[in-house]
Amino acid sequence: MDNTFKISSSPHVRDKRSTQSIMLDVIIALLPATLFGIINFELNAMILILTCVVSCVLFEWLYQKMMNRKVTIGDLSAVVTGLLLALNLSPDVPVWMAILGSAFAIIIVKQLFGGLGFNFMNPALGARCFLLISFAGRMTSFSYDGVTTATPLAVLKNTGDLANVNVLNMFLGNIPGTIGETSVVCLLVGAAYLLIRRVIKPVIPFTYIGTFAVLIMIYAVASGRGFDLTFLAAHLCGGGLMLGAFFMATDYVTSPITPAGKVVFGVILGILTFCFRIYGGSAEGVSYAIIFSNLLVPLIERWTQPKSFGEGAELAAQGDTAGTKSKMDTKSIVIATIAIMIITVIAGFALAYVYKITKDPIAVTEQKAKEEAYKAVFDDADSFDSYADFDVDAAAKVVSDAGYNADIDEIVEAKDSDGSVLGYVVTVTSHEAYSGDLQLAMGVRADGTTNGISFLSLSETAGLGMEADTDSFKSQFADKKVDKFQYTKSGATVDEEIDALSGATITTNAVTNAVNAGLEYVKAINGGAADSSAASNGGDK
Amino acid sequence: MGLLTFLGGIHPYEGKELSMEKPVREYLPKGDCVYPLSQHIGAPATPIVKKGDRVLVGQKIAEASGFVSANIHSSISGKVKAIEPRYVPGGSKVESIVVENDGLFEEIDFAANVKDLSTLYREDVKEIIKEAGIVGMGGAGFPANVKLAPKNEDAIDYIIVNGAECEPYLTSDYRRMMEEPDKLILGLEICINLFDHAKGIIAIEDNKPEAIELLRNKVKDNDKIEVHVMKTKYPQGAERQLIYANTGRYVNSKMLPADAGCIVHNVDTIVSIYEAVIEGRPLYTRIVTITGDAIENPCNLMVRIGTNCQELIEAAGGFKDGVIPEKVISGGPMMGKALFSLDVPATKGVSALLCMSHDEVADLEPSNCIRCGRCVDVCPGRIVPSMLASLAEHGDTEGFLAHNGMECCECGCCSYVCPAKRHLTQTIAGTRKSIIANKKK
Repeated sequence: MDNTFKISSSPHVRDKRSTQSIMLDVIIALLPATLFGIINFELNAMILILTCVVSCVLFEWLYQKMMNRKVTIGDLSAVVTGLLLALNLSPDVPVWMAILGSAFAIIIVKQLFGGLGFNFMNPALGARCFLLISFAGRMTSFSYDGVTTATPLAVLKNTGDLANVNVLNMFLGNIPGTIGETSVVCLLVGAAYLLIRRVIKPVIPFTYIGTFAVLIMIYAVASGRGFDLTFLAAHLCGGGLMLGAFFMATDYVTSPITPAGKVVFGVILGILTFCFRIYGGSAEGVSYAIIFSNLLVPLIERWTQPKSFGEGAELAAQGDTAGTKSKMDTKSIVIATIAIMIITVIAGFALAYVYKITKDPIAVTEQKAKEEAYKAVFDDADSFDSYADFDVDAAAKVVSDAGYNADIDEIVEAKDSDGSVLGYVVTVTSHEAYSGDLQLAMGVRADGTTNGISFLSLSETAGLGMEADTDSFKSQFADKKVDKFQYTKSGATVDEEIDALSGATITTNAVTNAVNAGLEYVKAINGGAADSSAASNGGDK
Repeated sequence: MGLLTFLGGIHPYEGKELSMEKPVREYLPKGDCVYPLSQHIGAPATPIVKKGDRVLVGQKIAEASGFVSANIHSSISGKVKAIEPRYVPGGSKVESIVVENDGLFEEIDFAANVKDLSTLYREDVKEIIKEAGIVGMGGAGFPANVKLAPKNEDAIDYIIVNGAECEPYLTSDYRRMMEEPDKLILGLEICINLFDHAKGIIAIEDNKPEAIELLRNKVKDNDKIEVHVMKTKYPQGAERQLIYANTGRYVNSKMLPADAGCIVHNVDTIVSIYEAVIEGRPLYTRIVTITGDAIENPCNLMVRIGTNCQELIEAAGGFKDGVIPEKVISGGPMMGKALFSLDVPATKGVSALLCMSHDEVADLEPSNCIRCGRCVDVCPGRIVPSMLASLAEHGDTEGFLAHNGMECCECGCCSYVCPAKRHLTQTIAGTRKSIIANKKK
């Protein structure tokens, strides 16, 4: 026997498609949205995308090396995870947060559960939700053209007014949002590529978007808005729905494998997204809807096992029609589907209402804390009313023109029992602090005297920067009528001078500048220059 | 009317152009012939010759040993050299009769076997078919006479000739249809006439338009036979999918085709029935396609059963440039069996020898299932191969049965499409075999 050939079980030919080529197709399909994100959000977006992709691949390699597993970074699945995570981040998040998210996605969600194919939820979305819960402020702060603004859906949710929303820009992507979610047209181009290459099937995205659209229209009609297609378009184009529906709900690993299961999955996603968006806390809801539905997948698959070829045919052949309804016939699929739907609706509303129930108490508590802070800096005032002409953009201009890196968050009028205005309480956020932002409230009398300051948020180094929140430091700002403060390290001699905190010059500088920014702003409104009514004139100069 | 088909399936590279237009050429063996006693499903045949006996072409040398079993005839003349275990294409050793070829090809008197068809009863015809040792020649090797004797003969509505030839590379059935259409039609008529209500269907994939045209013309005036055109798709020729595509009837693993009123025969089987009944010749030849990129002159050979496969390769000009191929397959690439050696006989079920200079499967390493669902999309049995393979790997026989694992026909579509290159078909087939083996105990 001199000729021995290779032997193996049939089949002896294989399709060219591999895991790697599928992942490569997904990456190609994400390119339009990625490029748009980089054009839209510039360098920040590029850095975050590179960070996420590189650290996802690196974490996968590292984990597999450490665990003595076969290194599988060649399948490109970690690249897809990294890219999707980056596209789901606000362009403003810091790099360390992107790295943390990548570690969570790859190590916690993917590798600890067995690696590719065994993760119970989409790794990128798992990481996004992890970051969203851990760093809510950073993850939902979106800047566009250098200005921090709300996403169109958040505007729509808060104001309820479509006039504030430009649907065409939402379609094109010229709006604030996460790096990859804004441009619907780019995402649709990528989705078309995936459909043409048969990487994904249309079932999940279409049932998802379809269900969601129907519910939104029902809601629009029921809430008195009428059959408003612009409202529908805004909801379809916003909040990452397209990114979620075509690129993340269709994730093979975390969506049902059975044909009927895909339909059920899409409908559940539609219902959940609707509930979260309309009745829940956040304006978008796609991420939570998808990871929640990911958890239902084993259940959905169990209930939607397909009927095999000719199942029950042997009974039909014997004329035993009663016996043909063996196991999963259409009827029981319908019953199972309805059961899953009911669970979904209940869960959706329950989750949404937890927010509703807690929203008011939280708001009351926050209001109380504010009032206390106001009182601390203006103790002779009887009531505080919001300043009617407050304009955030004009305020920002005044502050930046004066050369301060701070935001004017709010201004209220301090009034005595007769209702006459004693002065203002201004809330200022400084971005110059040693760790994170600091926020303070300051009272300024009508004549320009600084009444006192109080910290609303301060997270500096204990024993050093945190010493700012002591009476001895804060009192230096009290009852002084000065143009601007400055700090010194050699002992204050005049009113303008503030003794620097020992070992915390940066904190001192941030507080001083924040107070000065507030003073500048009060000066400006006393002159009427920073009011909303004056802002448009000011802009023309 | 749209093309007849079924749900699922795949479109692998067909490779039929290599041998499609090569007319069948007769090849007479030079060396010894080996006749394994088990070339069919069922009990092995019992030898009725002994070492030293001289046998003639067409002489019965082994006899069916049970209801599901088949006679075996010599395809050459010469002396019985030995009765000993020999390797067969399946890879195992099977007790075989070895006949030393005297090169004379002296035949028995076939004419003496021929009887006037009009004088025969149905039982006589079935007896002739049984005597001729005819088995399903698509590869499974189920005795033809057993198929033609269902429990309820009245219930048989269709005799379907499987001319799909959906396996890539194979062209033996196509050549049969092109070169001997009359034998095929007459053979089918013989089968139809075994039943009161049966009609004949010749089912052909649309990638063989010339065969469709030729046979359509031949049966133009025949109101009992129709030619059906099916979509070219693998596994269009799988028995259950073929029945569904042509009649809309379902057959599952618990049923026989006869339970749905159908009997399916391969093209070669029907022609063998014709030869047995009309010409008196038992089954001792078949057409084998010798093909693949490693073959010098791909061709279709009329082969004496029992011929050594090495001889057949040489008859096709040998390997291209003398380079030994990496893989040689008995049958098609989807369900054929890989040979480790060419020193095996061409048995009744060997439809092709496919020689591939490169074995693409050997390069592929299975990775984690990514649950893409491609196996579910292509599975003609409409089961969930990825899940069944996982149940099989965990030895969960109960779960395997609950998820209709026995409905797998081992067509290989799931393994073919799997992007993670998992051996789904192999895993599922292994568990099926052990379940069936345990049932028999």
